[in-house]
Amino acid sequence: MINNRFDASDFRAPEQIGRWRTLALGIGGILSAVMLIMMLLFPEQRENALRAWLLGFIFWCGIGVGGLGILILQYLTGGAWGVVIRRVVEACSRTIPILAILFLPIIFGVRNIYEWTRLAQTGEDVIINHRQPYLSVEWWIIRAIAYFILWGLMAYFLNSWSRRQDEATTYDEAAKPLADAGKFSGPTLVFFILVVTFASIDWVMTLDPHWFSTIWGFLFVAGWGLSCFSFSVVILAFLSDKAPMNRILGKRHFHDIGKLMLALTMVWAYFNFSQFLIIWSGNLPEETVWYLSRMHGTWGIIGILLILFHFAFPFLVLLSRDIKRDAKWLALLAVFILVMRLVDMFYLIGPNPRIGQHGHEVPFYFTWMDIVAPFAVGGIWLWWFLGELMKRPLVPINDPYLENAIKHGHEH
Amino acid sequence: MDKKIYGLLAEFDTPTQLVEAAQKVREAGFTRTDAFSPFPIHEMDRALGIKRSILPYLVFAGGVAGLLTGLALQYYVHVIDYPIIVGGRPFLSLPSFIPPMFELTILFASFAAVFGMLLLNGLPQPYHPVFNVPRFALATREKFFLLIETVDPKFNYDETRSFMQSLNAQEVFDVDE
Repeated sequence: MINNRFDASDFRAPEQIGRWRTLALGIGGILSAVMLIMMLLFPEQRENALRAWLLGFIFWCGIGVGGLGILILQYLTGGAWGVVIRRVVEACSRTIPILAILFLPIIFGVRNIYEWTRLAQTGEDVIINHRQPYLSVEWWIIRAIAYFILWGLMAYFLNSWSRRQDEATTYDEAAKPLADAGKFSGPTLVFFILVVTFASIDWVMTLDPHWFSTIWGFLFVAGWGLSCFSFSVVILAFLSDKAPMNRILGKRHFHDIGKLMLALTMVWAYFNFSQFLIIWSGNLPEETVWYLSRMHGTWGIIGILLILFHFAFPFLVLLSRDIKRDAKWLALLAVFILVMRLVDMFYLIGPNPRIGQHGHEVPFYFTWMDIVAPFAVGGIWLWWFLGELMKRPLVPINDPYLENAIKHGHEH
Repeated sequence: MDKKIYGLLAEFDTPTQLVEAAQKVREAGFTRTDAFSPFPIHEMDRALGIKRSILPYLVFAGGVAGLLTGLALQYYVHVIDYPIIVGGRPFLSLPSFIPPMFELTILFASFAAVFGMLLLNGLPQPYHPVFNVPRFALATREKFFLLIETVDPKFNYDETRSFMQSLNAQEVFDVDE
């Protein structure tokens, strides 16, 4: 025993989570069945259904993969927030397998959602012909599999060190895995960001066959990080007034995570504005076309809403110290940010040209499936996530920094 | 009492004693007080009843002022004083104004933070009467001090002195003006 005060059996997840899990699977299973029926049996709805599924998938993938990123980050930076958030983001990182399964509809429907697959077949487009070595369906699928394997390996190593720490019986045995995870995390963060960059380009940017942006990957690194911090705040706020986490979590933990949410809200806006300013100043037709279709009509209104409610409103609210320190208010704001994350994904995915429609503006559309799909993917993802969360103690019980981290949370 | 004094200074051996004494001093109704310690003590703010600083609001105001200054400066230059067509853009082209607006926001907020801090804590202060007590030099090493100023409305030399002695103080000093 290293810390007599911390015993694994005292830190099991509260029992309600088991019921939430069943509910999530029920909702997710039924809605996913509805989505699959729309994809398979209604060919004229297939493209809309796949776009909605991609919307839901990218949103939840952002929380799962974002969790892996935060897990890597907190091993590098240290700090009390990393100790209390670790088990939540670890559970997120262990959802990579279910994310790979949830991605299957996109792989099977790749020809029904990405216009470049059609252009590659007909050979009518000079630019797509030139990009053939990269943009071919087989190679795209191989890359997607590689992304999941790479993320999965990163998550596997970090989680196995963490398990070894839980099983440690001496101080040295508990400190060693932490040091190993720290060493692993440095170079891994670089690879992680590269994999996110490639995945976001393959899965979202190529929806527009010609357009490109070099800051694209960072939009997703920042956005997915913000998604997972917001999601973790909701989970931690839910746990904070129940045994066993009410003994652990203090106001200052939420204060610290709130500060990180504020930082990522600003980083998200910074990267988006950087992309916009360069394209707007350069004023070259091959680049401006992406914003042209997003700055007019209803798409333009959504863009304004994103500036106001994905950036300005959360930014101003998160400046307040009292709100960051109050778990309930911070969680409420986190839910709001998550909704805006979904709107942001819709804004990136929606206005892209449909199959056979390259070069035409996409009139605004919104179907019931754009609401249903995020719940369908989310239900199944949450079922898996909550199961993973229940598997291990809610805090790293043998971590040498745990006692300090708990004390930190209750300081003024 | 012919010589003018600034206040009374009590010396303590441990931070716990200091915090306990500060609590009692606040409960007794003293408001013009101060505490000195070689390192920060988290409980001190609450024990002495020190309110949260208004500095964050000053910094926010500084940031807003910087944002508006950046906008006004560029509007004056590009729209009123010397309008030039660049790349076919309108004179008032907000996207290109935003980076300087952002920079001035940071600059003015930083100014507000630094100068607001100096304004609120009264630094730099070349002279402070507590240094007239020779043992006060130990405040940077191992001793803890609590001060009650004579300007405190509840201050009465004899009563306050015996009150401070009752707080487990090692010694109570007169602080010469």
